[in-house]
Amino acid sequence: MSVAISKKEQRIVSFVWVIGIIVVWELASFVLKNVLHDPMAATKLPYLHIIAITFVENWKTLLEAGAVTFSRAAMGFALGATVGILLAIIMSLSKTMERIAFPYLIVSQMIPILGLAPIIFIIVRDMNVSRIVIAAYITFFPVSVNMLSGLKSVEQDKKDLLFSIAANKFEVYRKLMFPSAVSYLFIGLKIAAPMAVTASILVDMLGSKSGIGVKILYSLYSNSTNLFWASVFTSAFMGIISYYMVVFAERYLLPWQNATPGKDGVRA
Amino acid sequence: MINKVKNILCPLAFGIALIMAWQFGLFHKLLKLKPFQLPVPSEIASTLSANLPKALTDCGVTISGALIGLIIGSLIGFMIAAIATFFPKWGYGGMIVVTALNAVPIVALSPIMNLWFSNGMQQKIGVVTVVCMAAMAINAYSGLNNINLYSIDLMHSVAANNWTIFTKLRLPNSLPHLFTATKINIASSIIAAIISEYFASSTAGLGFGIKDNLRKAEMAMGWSYIVVASLAGVILYCIILLVERDAIKWHASQKEIKH
Repeated sequence: MSVAISKKEQRIVSFVWVIGIIVVWELASFVLKNVLHDPMAATKLPYLHIIAITFVENWKTLLEAGAVTFSRAAMGFALGATVGILLAIIMSLSKTMERIAFPYLIVSQMIPILGLAPIIFIIVRDMNVSRIVIAAYITFFPVSVNMLSGLKSVEQDKKDLLFSIAANKFEVYRKLMFPSAVSYLFIGLKIAAPMAVTASILVDMLGSKSGIGVKILYSLYSNSTNLFWASVFTSAFMGIISYYMVVFAERYLLPWQNATPGKDGVRA
Repeated sequence: MINKVKNILCPLAFGIALIMAWQFGLFHKLLKLKPFQLPVPSEIASTLSANLPKALTDCGVTISGALIGLIIGSLIGFMIAAIATFFPKWGYGGMIVVTALNAVPIVALSPIMNLWFSNGMQQKIGVVTVVCMAAMAINAYSGLNNINLYSIDLMHSVAANNWTIFTKLRLPNSLPHLFTATKINIASSIIAAIISEYFASSTAGLGFGIKDNLRKAEMAMGWSYIVVASLAGVILYCIILLVERDAIKWHASQKEIKH
């Protein structure tokens, strides 16, 4: 039922949802504290407004820590996206390369890379480098698989037309293949962006000196519950922000593209 | 036929070359590593075979937690998508919220689940459930709603009610999407389970094994846990592929593509 919902109505509906979630949260923490008399209530589910106040009080340190994590994630994301795109182009150019690399692409997803974080750290011996490497590793798969399916979805007739007017391979890629693959590429980027942030936070938690992940662990162990929840919210927002940054980049770069193409991304 | 042989031989040759390069120290030279930092494949294999029963027990703990969480999460996710389909206007807003939830870093959830559940297993299941829920809800929603308009008109023209449309049209249409979501979730549920073990007070499982062995500088044992985890993931993935092939034979993605 593809009911056309107007933009204004959409906003109202989303707004009501957000309000509803806030109300339910506040109610739940009230019930936990005053009805169930859970002695851990303030730790398990503190009032949302208290978390918000803590966030405002500590916004500077939280944002600083967030910025460290976010910038590493962004560097890894850029590196991984570049490698992913290059690999996709190579695979689309050569059938043999695709035969060799594609099964390993799938298998590489089955390796719990986030589980490898401690091992990567031992190999590269530098926190920042290992953060970037892991974020890049996580990014490259969705990017390269979606890019490849974009390059492959170009109709043969269009390629034939270009070849018939003596376009060389480079020109075909530049004028036809890339422009039509770019919307697929963005599907991959949208999947990858929050994953890169997740990777960066995890590496924080496994023994970095700065970053939002460190904040989460420290505040948890030092029993400053409100700060802990504020840090968790910060990291959640970082994931969401990274997703919407890609969405806005897509709208800006591909204004002709409908916001939600009816295709699904490939993630594993 | 020749293509099929090539499809198997090319990756196989590459894989063997890779393992050889690793075994004979090419990586160590390139990355300037000592043997104790990156154990060679033969060492990992011998360590694994010596400690196989323990590794398998730990693997069982993690995988069972991951699978239970995967099932609960997928059921909840599908229910969210189904409810959102029956109430399109409000459901759409709900799906935006779920999409946002999908972007929330899992690791941040791990300590929260630590607070809520005292038991390592419950905590693991909790993390995996949340992780799988979002991916399933998003995919199921698009499967239930990306429907040919003519099909809906046809159903209306024979006076089918919403429930009949759901069971006869939307549900079959969503099947390929459900499999996509499950394939995504297999990998992420194992990863989520391992990560939650890093932070939990658990004393068993792959995540605990990896962390514990690295702390004791037993690199080869840590690596054999990684191997076991990857193999478990690949096996589960292949099972899903087989089920998928049987369940949606009619779908275009399953047809042999001729080159």
